[in-house]
Amino acid sequence: MSASQANGSGGCGAPAGGIKVTAGAGSQAVVQGHVTSSGTPVPSGYARLLNAQGEFVAEVPLGEDGGFVFYAAPGDWTLRVLAPGGVRVEQPVSASRGMITELEVAV
Amino acid sequence: MSRSDVLVDADWVQGHLDDPGLVLVEVDEDTAAYDKGHIKGAVKLDWKTDLQDPVRRDFVDRAGFERLLSERGVSNEDTVILYGGNNNWFAAYAYWYFKLYGHHNVKLLDGGRKKWELDSREMVTEVPSRPATSYRAQEQDRSIRAFRDDVVAAIGNLNLVDVRSPDEFAGRLLAPAHLPQEQAQRGGHVPTAKNVPWSKAAEEDGTFKSDDALRALYGNEAGLDFSRDTIAYCRIGERSAHTWFVLHELLGQPNVKNYDGSWTEYGSLVGVPIELGDGK
Repeated sequence: MSASQANGSGGCGAPAGGIKVTAGAGSQAVVQGHVTSSGTPVPSGYARLLNAQGEFVAEVPLGEDGGFVFYAAPGDWTLRVLAPGGVRVEQPVSASRGMITELEVAV
Repeated sequence: MSRSDVLVDADWVQGHLDDPGLVLVEVDEDTAAYDKGHIKGAVKLDWKTDLQDPVRRDFVDRAGFERLLSERGVSNEDTVILYGGNNNWFAAYAYWYFKLYGHHNVKLLDGGRKKWELDSREMVTEVPSRPATSYRAQEQDRSIRAFRDDVVAAIGNLNLVDVRSPDEFAGRLLAPAHLPQEQAQRGGHVPTAKNVPWSKAAEEDGTFKSDDALRALYGNEAGLDFSRDTIAYCRIGERSAHTWFVLHELLGQPNVKNYDGSWTEYGSLVGVPIELGDGK
């Protein structure tokens, strides 16, 4: 499934997790990455994006490869990962327009 | 109406999985989630291909809803338990449909798919086969659905609740941050709307906050006048179905409508007032 198909889903909801933006960010401020545990992808869990005030902004289920993608506004964000077993891990991230920011999150 | 009439928790569902007359329905935008694993016995609904008109921008009509539920094996007498991804956005949206078409015995699984997954509860890939029914729907209950003219007329008169994220409300984003930024022609919000992001009504695991916390959130904190009628909107109407559920079903507010056209319609209308900037 391509990013443009995910876009075509049209909803407020999450597209299938793990869709990678590969053709460049265009005018978007993309934050994407993978969640791994001891080097193995975590396919069951959630990535949440919080704004600079710590307020919830968006959430996606992780893809089969532990992947996630957000289309943020430029600025500073916090990525929080939730996974079964009470896993809760945070990582700061800065997004810029026209850039794809890659994150690797170990839980 | 009380919380237990409209909401069940994961333990309750686990204990009633095999009850006759109970149908679990998973509602997702990403139906690949259901295919990957779902609660035992659950049938699936696709919010778009099943619940939207394929041509016009509208829902399935009454006859279409009847065909859909008949084919999925849901009868008028069944207790329908809805759950789904995205913190139950689409399950709440489907709940609103069931109410719109007059199905009375319908409840949400608190926390939806996320809570079930984070609890490491059993999920299966086996798709149940349910015999077809002859489902009969009622005429749409328009008392819970708002159209664009209702929204324009509500400016300065009714409670308008914009349940999108602060960045969408302010006009800095046109869509939630996990989707490409496009859709409406203009960013911003309906003048006089209060910004109460849907997420403030939910805990991190997707379950709803307590009634007291919810009443404080919309009342004292957001400044909604509970003696007035309310219209909730978001971008396409499912996050606001989540808030409609909170205000109408959990808190028992009598006149709450969901504006399913939401910002993708309003933000593309010619000549309507728009306000920019953060909430006050």
